[in-house]
Amino acid sequence: MPAMGASPLMPFQRIELDGVAAAVQEQFGSGISLERGSRGVVLAIHLKEPNVLADLSKALFWDVGCSFGGLIVEEHADRWRLCYLFLARGSGWVEVVLEVPATVQAVPSISAGVHAADWFEREAEDLFGLRFEGHPRLGDFILHDQIWPEGVAPHRKPQRKSVNVHQMQFRRRPNPDWRPLLVVQDPGSFAMPVGPVYEGGIGESLHFMLETVGEDVLRAVPRLFYKFRAVEKIAEGQGVSDVLLLAERFAATSSFAHSLAFSLAVERICSLEVPKRATNLRVLLAELERLRHHAGAITGICESTALAVAASQAAIIEEELLRASCKFAGHRYLFGLNTPGGLRRDFVSRDFETLIGAVDRAIEDLRELEDRLHFTSSFLDRLEDVGVVDPSKARDLNLVGPVGRASGRGHDLRRECPYGGYDSYTFETPREAEGDGYARLRVLFQEAYASAGLIHQSIERMEPGPVVALCESFIPGAALGWAEAPIGAALHWIRLDESGIVERYRAITPSFNNWLGFHAAVEDFAFQDFPIILATFGLSATECDR
Amino acid sequence: MIDAWIGGALALFFILCACGLVLSAATRGVYSLRAFVVFSAACSILMMFSSAVALASGHSFAIDLWRLNGWGRLSIRLDMLSAIFLFAAGLVYLPASLFVRNLVEVRFRGRYPTRRYGVLHFALMASVVLILVASDAPLFLISWECMSLLCYFLVNYEQSARMDVRAGYIMLVMSEAGFLAVVVAFLILGRGTPDWSFSSLAGMAEHLSGGAVWGVFLLGFLGFGVKAGLVPVNFWLPRCYTAAPAVFVPVLAGVTLNLGFYGILRLDAQLMSNHSLGTGLFALITGSITALVGILYATTENDLKKMLAHSSIENAGIIVAAVGASLVFHASGYAVAAAIALTAALYHMVNHSVYKTLLFQGVGEVEAATRTREMDRLGGLARLLPGLSVVFLVGCLSISAIPPFNGFVSEWLTLQSLLRSAVLLSSAVKILFALCGACLALTAALAVTCFVKVYAMSFLGIRRGDWRKVPGKAGRTQFPLAYLAVACLLLGILPTYVIPVLNRAVEPLAGASAAASLVPPFFTATPENQQLPPAFVNDFHNLGAQTGRHVLPGRGLVVMVRGSEKNPVVFAMSTSYSFVALAIFLFVTWFIATRSSRQRSVTRHELWAGGIPRLLPEMTYTATGFSNPVRVVFQAIFRPNIVEDSRETVAVHFRTAILRRRDETHLVDRLLLHPVGEAVGWLARLLAEMHHGRLNAYVTYTLAFLLIILVLFRLS
Amino acid sequence: MSFWFWHGLKKGVRSTHYPRKFESAAGVSPGRPVATEFDSATEAVLAAANCPVDAIVARGSAAEVKLERCIYCQHCHYGNPHLLEWNSDYEWTMAALGPGKYQPLPGAYHRSLHVMVVDAGDCGACLHEVKQLNNPLYNMHRLGIFLTATPRFADVLLVVGPVSENMRVPLLKTYEAMPTPKRILAVGACAINGGVFGRAFMSAGGAASVLPVDLLVPGDPPPPLAILHALLAVTGRKNPVAQMASLEGNS
Ligand code: SF4
Repeated sequence: MPAMGASPLMPFQRIELDGVAAAVQEQFGSGISLERGSRGVVLAIHLKEPNVLADLSKALFWDVGCSFGGLIVEEHADRWRLCYLFLARGSGWVEVVLEVPATVQAVPSISAGVHAADWFEREAEDLFGLRFEGHPRLGDFILHDQIWPEGVAPHRKPQRKSVNVHQMQFRRRPNPDWRPLLVVQDPGSFAMPVGPVYEGGIGESLHFMLETVGEDVLRAVPRLFYKFRAVEKIAEGQGVSDVLLLAERFAATSSFAHSLAFSLAVERICSLEVPKRATNLRVLLAELERLRHHAGAITGICESTALAVAASQAAIIEEELLRASCKFAGHRYLFGLNTPGGLRRDFVSRDFETLIGAVDRAIEDLRELEDRLHFTSSFLDRLEDVGVVDPSKARDLNLVGPVGRASGRGHDLRRECPYGGYDSYTFETPREAEGDGYARLRVLFQEAYASAGLIHQSIERMEPGPVVALCESFIPGAALGWAEAPIGAALHWIRLDESGIVERYRAITPSFNNWLGFHAAVEDFAFQDFPIILATFGLSATECDR
Repeated sequence: MIDAWIGGALALFFILCACGLVLSAATRGVYSLRAFVVFSAACSILMMFSSAVALASGHSFAIDLWRLNGWGRLSIRLDMLSAIFLFAAGLVYLPASLFVRNLVEVRFRGRYPTRRYGVLHFALMASVVLILVASDAPLFLISWECMSLLCYFLVNYEQSARMDVRAGYIMLVMSEAGFLAVVVAFLILGRGTPDWSFSSLAGMAEHLSGGAVWGVFLLGFLGFGVKAGLVPVNFWLPRCYTAAPAVFVPVLAGVTLNLGFYGILRLDAQLMSNHSLGTGLFALITGSITALVGILYATTENDLKKMLAHSSIENAGIIVAAVGASLVFHASGYAVAAAIALTAALYHMVNHSVYKTLLFQGVGEVEAATRTREMDRLGGLARLLPGLSVVFLVGCLSISAIPPFNGFVSEWLTLQSLLRSAVLLSSAVKILFALCGACLALTAALAVTCFVKVYAMSFLGIRRGDWRKVPGKAGRTQFPLAYLAVACLLLGILPTYVIPVLNRAVEPLAGASAAASLVPPFFTATPENQQLPPAFVNDFHNLGAQTGRHVLPGRGLVVMVRGSEKNPVVFAMSTSYSFVALAIFLFVTWFIATRSSRQRSVTRHELWAGGIPRLLPEMTYTATGFSNPVRVVFQAIFRPNIVEDSRETVAVHFRTAILRRRDETHLVDRLLLHPVGEAVGWLARLLAEMHHGRLNAYVTYTLAFLLIILVLFRLS
Repeated sequence: MSFWFWHGLKKGVRSTHYPRKFESAAGVSPGRPVATEFDSATEAVLAAANCPVDAIVARGSAAEVKLERCIYCQHCHYGNPHLLEWNSDYEWTMAALGPGKYQPLPGAYHRSLHVMVVDAGDCGACLHEVKQLNNPLYNMHRLGIFLTATPRFADVLLVVGPVSENMRVPLLKTYEAMPTPKRILAVGACAINGGVFGRAFMSAGGAASVLPVDLLVPGDPPPPLAILHALLAVTGRKNPVAQMASLEGNS
C-alpha cells in the first residue's frame, strides 16, 4: 500500500509495463507465460496452473500498484476462460488469463487479497455456477435466494436466453425460509429495510438492509440486481448493431460513454481508423454527457439535504442541458449517435454555436450555485465529515470515478489509459483528499467545469471531414473498449465470430465497482445521513445491474 | 353511629385477616386458593368501605387500644389522610387478590405453594392497615417494621434459580436504614414528650429549633423516601421489583410505595407544620430530579418489569415534587396554592396506584403467556391477547397523561400548581420553580415516548422472539384488569367528584380548601347564590359549564385554578366535557364513515414494506432502536460503555459478525453506591491493617484509647 | 438562509404554460417519426427495413409508424437514404385497449392525483424524465399532480422499465397495495413491450404482461411533457391519442 505522507495526494505516477513484466516474472516465473497483448490489452499473463492466481493478483494489486478492472468469464465448448483485468497506470490494461477445462467446477478466489474482486466472483458464481474457492460469501447475489433456486447458472451456454423464467419451472412464491444475512449482533439490533420500491419519491429500485441498534448505521450492504435484465445474455447471438442498441440503453444516464466504449471495442476488432472529426465530436458529446450528469448529481445532493431552492436551480441547469443536447443531437440522452467507426451524423457550425452558448450559460449558473453553496453553512454541515471514505479504503475497494477521486485516487481513464483522442487534450482531473460528501461535491463541480473546457477545445479544433469510417468485415476475436463514463471507468469487452455475431459480451461498469465500496461510506454514520451519502455517491443501479 | 360503622368494619377487617391467615395456612390446594381469594377480596372491600364511610361523612374515627408503661397509649385513629391512603390500598388490593388466582392457575400450578404466600399476604395486609390507622409513634413504627420484613419475605418468595436473592437483601438493608432514620427523627421530635401520640408530637414540633426541624425533616424524608423510591435512596427499587414475584409487584407498587408518601405527609407535613421554605424546596428539587432520572431509565429500559419499576420512581418524583411545592406555598403563606398542590399530589398518588397496578398485572399476564419480558423479543401481542392489549393501552394512556384518562388530570394539576409560583416573592425561588417545572414537563414528554415504545414494541408489530404463546384461560384475567381500566377512566373524567373528597384530607393540612378554588359551583351557582362573581359565572355559563346540571349531582364538571381579582381564571379544563365531546366526535366520524357511502368496500392487504417479498421480524424496529435517540441525547447521564468487536473470515472485508455490548451503571449507583462502597472497602482495609495479630499492638491501642477518653473526660 | 429565498425569487417564474399553451421551447421533446409518403412502394419498404424493431410499416408507398414500438434509435432520422419525417410535438399518449376504451378517473382526481412510480428495471432515462416533472420548468404540482412514496395514497401506478424478474414481485405488491380506483401507466418503450430487452429470460417484456395497463406513453424515453400529457389524460383533462395513424391523417 502506498504510504500516505503529509499530502495524501500522490502525484500521477506511471507504471511501466516492463516493470510489471519483470516483477511478475521474477516472482512467478515458472507458473506463467507473458505475451504482448493486442486489441486494447497491452500485456497478457497466461497462467499455467490456477494456484498462482491469488498470489499473482495480490502482487499486481498491492506490490505493483495496478488497480483492478474486472473479471471476464467466458465459456467455451471445452474450457473456461477467466480473464482478470488490471490497469497499469499510464501504460494500459494487463490481463491475467486463466484457462481451465470445462469439467472443472471450482477456481481459486482472489477476493481475500483483492477485495475489489469480491462482487465479480459472486456474480460469476451466480450466473455461471463456477465456484470460487476461498470466497466466504457466495450465492444470493444476482439471483436472489428469495425467488431463485440454487444452481441455475442462467448464463451458461445451454441456457436459452429467450426462455422467460416463468417458463422455467421455478418456484413462483417467495421462499419462506429466506433470512437476511445479518452481521450485527446486539440484543437490540435490527435491519432496517429500505426499498426495493424506493420510499423517497423517485429513485431506482434497490434494496438496503441497514443494520443498526438505532441512530447509527452499523452495517449497510446493498442488495442490488432487482433491475438485472441480463443484458450480456441477451446480447449473445445478436449482431453488433443490435448489441450497440443494448449498450446504449442499459444505462441511459451515461449512455454515450457506454456506446462509445462499445464502439471502441468493435473498432479494435475491425481495426477501424476513426476519422479525426468523429474523434473530436465524440469528446464533445461525452463531455456534454458528463456535464449534464454532474448537474443531475448536484441536483440530487441538494435535494437530499432538503435545500429546495438550490435543488431547483440545479434541476433547471440540468434540464437546460438536456434541452441543449436534444437541440444539438436530436435526443435528450444522446441515443443513436455512436456507431462503430465514428458517428451516425454530422453537425454544422451553427449547432456548435448554440451548444456552446448553452454550455457556457450552464457553467455560469453552476459557478453561481457553487458560490452560494459554499456559504450555506446548514448545507455544508450535512456534507462535511459525512460519509467519509479514506484514501486507503478507497484504494482497497478500488473506488473509481468522481467518488474515487474525492478520496484521493487519481483513477481517470482519460488520463491513465487514454482513448478516443483524449491524450491530445489538456484538462484537469480534480482530486480531493478528505473523502467526505463535500469533497465529492467539489469534485463534481470541478469536473463539470473541466468538461466545459474540453467541449470548447473540441469545437476549436473541429476540422471538416467525414464522421464515420465504415466497417467492411469482422475479424473474429475479442477486444476491450473503455471510456471514462461520468460515474467512472466503463469497460466493454466483446468476442465476435467471423460473421460479426457477438459470442460473448461483457460490460463492466463503474457503478458496479462503487456499489461494492458504498457500505464503507455509510457505516457508522447516522440514519439521516444515509440519503445524503447515497446522493453524494451518485450511483446508478441500472448501470450496476445491467 | 358512624363510629360504629367504621369501627365495626375495621374490626371485621382484622378478624377476616386473621381467618384468612389461618385458613390459608391450614388448607391445601384449591381450597387454600379459594379461601385466599375470598378472604383477601373481602378484606380489601372492607378497607374501601371503612375509609369510604369516613370520607363521606368527614368524621374521623379514633379509639385507644391499650397503655404501654412510659410510652403512652397505643391508639388508632382513622383520619381523612389515613382514609384516602386506606381507600387507595383497598382499591389496589382487590384486583391484586383476584389476580393471584389467575396467575397461580395459569402459571404456577403445582409449583407455587399458596399457603405460605397466603400467610404472608394477610399479615402484610394487616400491617399496612395498622400503619395507616396508627395514631402514635410506637404502633406506627412497629407496624412499619413488620411491613418491611413481610415485604422482604414476599419479594424473596419465588425461590427459583433465576431470582436475584441479593435484590431482596438490598431492599431489606435499605428499609432497615430508612427505618432507623425514621426512628431517630421521631426521637428528636419527641424529646421530652409526655406520650408518643401523634397529637402530642405535633405539639412538640412547634418548639423545635431550626436545625432540629431540618434534621427531623431530612431524616424523615429520606427514611420514608426509601419506600417511596426517591433519588438517591432508591437503588434497591428496580432490582427488587424485577425480582419480586409477578403477583406481589402490584402490591409493592400500588400499596407499599404509597406508605412512603404517607410517612412523608404524616411526619413532614402534618406533624411539623412549622417547616421553612428550604425544606419544601428540598422536597421539590428532589422530586423533580427523581422524576427525570426515573423516566430516563424507564425510557431506555427494555425489560417490561424493570421499565415499570423505573416509571414508578418517576411517578414518585412527581408526587413528591407536588408535595414540595405545597410545603413551599404553605411556608410562604399561600394556603390555597398549597392546598391545590397537595391535592395534585394525592390525586397523582391514587392514580399511580391504579394504573401501575394495572400495568404490572398486565406485564404479569404477558410474562405468563410468553415467558419473556424483553421488549426486544416481544411484539404482536395485540393479536394474541386482544383483551389484555386494550386494557394495557388504557394503562399506557393513563400513565402518559393523555386525556381523558386519570394521569392527565393529576399531572395537569401538578404543573398548574408549579405555574402558580408567580405569586411567590423571591425570584430565586421562582427560578427554582421554573426549572423544576421544566424538568417535570420534560418528564411528561419522555413518559409519552416511553409508553409509546412499550405499547408499540410489545403489542403492535410482529413477533420478534422465538417464544410461543403459553396456552391458558384468558377470560379470568379480564375482570381485575377491566376493573382497573374503568377506575382509570372514571378518575380521569370525574375529577370534580374526586377533588372534594381529597380536599377533606388536604384542608386540615394546608389550612385552606382546594375544592373551593378548583371546583367552582357552576351547577349550584346562580346570580342569587353569591359565591362567585356574577360576571365570571355568566362567562362560564355561556361556555356551557352548566351542561348536565339537572342530571348530575355535585358542584360542576369544570376544574380550574382560580386567580386573583384581576385575573380570575388562571387555567380551566374539563375532562368530563371533553370526554363527551370526544365520544360524540368519534361516534359521528364512525357513523359517517360506515353509513354515509353506499359502495364502501374494505380491502385488506399485507403491510406495505417497500415491496420486499416478506417483512421479517428482524427487519422491524426493536425497543432498543426506538429508544436509542434518548440514549444518545442523554449520553452524559447514561455514560454507556460500548464495546465493539468484529469477526471476519479471510479478510477484514468479509466481516461475519459485529459484536456489540453495552453496559451502563445507573446514575445513582455510579455517583453514590459505588463511592460509598469503595469508601467502606477502604475503611475495612485500613482496619484490617491495624490487626497485625501482635499482642503489643493491641495493648498499645487499648492504652491510647484509654488515654484519649481520660483526657476528654478531664476537659469536659 | 434568506438569500436562497431571495435568489429563488429573483429568477422569476420559469414554469411552462402547458397545458394552457403549447410549450415550444427547443429541445423539450425529441419529436417523433410520423407517417411519410414516399415516391414508391419500394422506398417505403426500404424505409421500413431500416427500423430495427419493426416500428415502421410500409403500406403502399407510405411508411406508417407504430410509435409504441419505437426505441428512438434515430435510424429513420439521419444517416440513411430513406428517412421519415419527424415532427416535434409530445402529446402522444395512447390508450392500451385502443381508441375510446379508456375510462378516465372521476373529477375528484382532477386537482389531486397521486402518482406512485415504480422502476421495474428501466435504464434510468424514463425515470429521470419523470423526475424532471418535479423540476420548476415543468412543476407538475401546479396541476395538482403529486408523487407519493407509498402505494397506499396512490391513484396512478407509473411503471417504467421492462419488468425484470427480480422486480416482478415488488411491482405486483405495489399494485395490490394501491386502493381502487387505480390506473396504470406504462411509460417508455421498455414498459410497453420490453423495448431493446424484449421478452427475454430476465425481462417480462413490458408492464402489460404483468399488469392491466391503461395508458401507454411511447418514447425511449418519452420527454417530460409527454408523461405530463399522460398524467392529464388519466383524469380526462386531455385525451389519449386514439390511434397514431388517425392523428397523422389530421396533420
Ligand atoms: S427511430 Fe423509431 S421508428 Fe425510427 S428507426 Fe428507430 S425505432 Fe424505428
